[in-house]
Amino acid sequence: MTKETYLHDKHVQLGARMVDFAGWHMPVQYTSIIEEHKTVRENVGLFDVSHMGEVFVSGKDSLAFLQKIVPQDISKLAYEKAVYCQLPNKNGGLIDDLIIYKLGINYYLVICNAARIDEDLNWMVRNKKGLDVKIDNQSHNYSLLAVQGPKADAVLRKMGLDTMQESFTIKPATICGRKLLISRTGYTGEDGYELLVENEFSEELWDKILDYGNEFGIKPIGLGARDTLRLEAALHLYGNDLDENTTPVEAGLSWSIPKDKKEDYNGKNIIIEQLQNGGGKKLIGLKMLDKAIARHEYEVYKDGEKIGIITSGGISPMLNANIALAYVKNDKNICIGSTVQVMIREKLHNAEVVKKPFISKKNKIKI
Amino acid sequence: MSITEKILCSKSHEYILKNEDGTYTIGLTDYAVEQLGDIVYLELPEIGTDFQKGETFATVESVKAASEIYAPISFKVIEINETLADAPETLNEDSYEKGWLIKAEAIGNISEQNDLMEYEDYKEEVE
Repeated sequence: MTKETYLHDKHVQLGARMVDFAGWHMPVQYTSIIEEHKTVRENVGLFDVSHMGEVFVSGKDSLAFLQKIVPQDISKLAYEKAVYCQLPNKNGGLIDDLIIYKLGINYYLVICNAARIDEDLNWMVRNKKGLDVKIDNQSHNYSLLAVQGPKADAVLRKMGLDTMQESFTIKPATICGRKLLISRTGYTGEDGYELLVENEFSEELWDKILDYGNEFGIKPIGLGARDTLRLEAALHLYGNDLDENTTPVEAGLSWSIPKDKKEDYNGKNIIIEQLQNGGGKKLIGLKMLDKAIARHEYEVYKDGEKIGIITSGGISPMLNANIALAYVKNDKNICIGSTVQVMIREKLHNAEVVKKPFISKKNKIKI
Repeated sequence: MSITEKILCSKSHEYILKNEDGTYTIGLTDYAVEQLGDIVYLELPEIGTDFQKGETFATVESVKAASEIYAPISFKVIEINETLADAPETLNEDSYEKGWLIKAEAIGNISEQNDLMEYEDYKEEVE
């Protein structure tokens, strides 16, 4: 059976078109994906992302445990800070990508993808053998609301929340006597916040954000625009751009992996070797040179030879162009500025290899 | 008489409208367009091409996905709606008077190959 978030009835009341996504009945759009996309880039939008997983990790061996399961160096993660991580298997292939937050001494929050909660938990439990660690999946008890866009900070301040200066920061807050966690993170390529609250408070908080955000032009935003926003920002979507046969190096995530981490972790040998020499494939950004749209699983060619496959593709409302992410063989001749072809309905269409992300953040804040 | 009283619709959401000169205007129903959401690209056939009923004759791309459009009758294309190349969003505004896709000459006897429905019946079927 499809699951519903606590805010499900709100979405239906707002006239959202509902679709099944990762086993959840979620709003894909309220009015128009393009309009919603522009609202987030220009003003501010509110998303229900309560389908995401929340796993709390505690116990005296928490740090040792996290060091074993991610390539990132969690010993360097400061209190109330967050870090983007991956969860590799023994071959370096990705079981999921995550954000890990340090909430206290031996107390961490892991936010993971909705469709991967079971796999992640299974893998975590298999990796905790002999360690004093408690893995507490609280996904069903929490709602996650994302307020994203250049005016997100103003909306939260208007609500009386004491916002923070730096991105990838998390801290507890209180609103109307209710406790929540606010973190300056998101999945849109814009500045913004994610608010983690107990389910019982989610509807009240949703209404409050829309209410206070009204003067800033806030709108509810569906998963359709969430996808076009993250694609413009070249943020990976698990299941499309990441899977168990793709390493973080191949996925273009080398920037997130320290070379000097001492502790062993799953897939370390392969990941470190690939940091030196590259992987078997690489993720590139493409901009279509005509009006055709490259989509997930379309084939990519160069000089008549199949060189790879599109993993995410669609329109860029801000660039007014069609863009895509593709895995191609790791060949230095496939580089920024070169032309490749995408097979779309049995015809080859030219595309240029371009820099990722496709758009740059206007409102850069300190990380 | 409103336009929806004059059209016939297929289960796969295409409509045909018989013109005074005996040709047909073919397009997508308003229900289909609403389901698709923002339309961003249309691939229309070349003038002069023949299609058998049920064959894919065009593709519509919304923000989310590409969808095929099937021939509701057998026909030869005699005109395409050129305005859609630069303004595919016209279809979101009005899929009948401005956002029609093609004009065509029917091939064969329409009534013999017909499983098309009146608009009211179609709406009942899809909703």
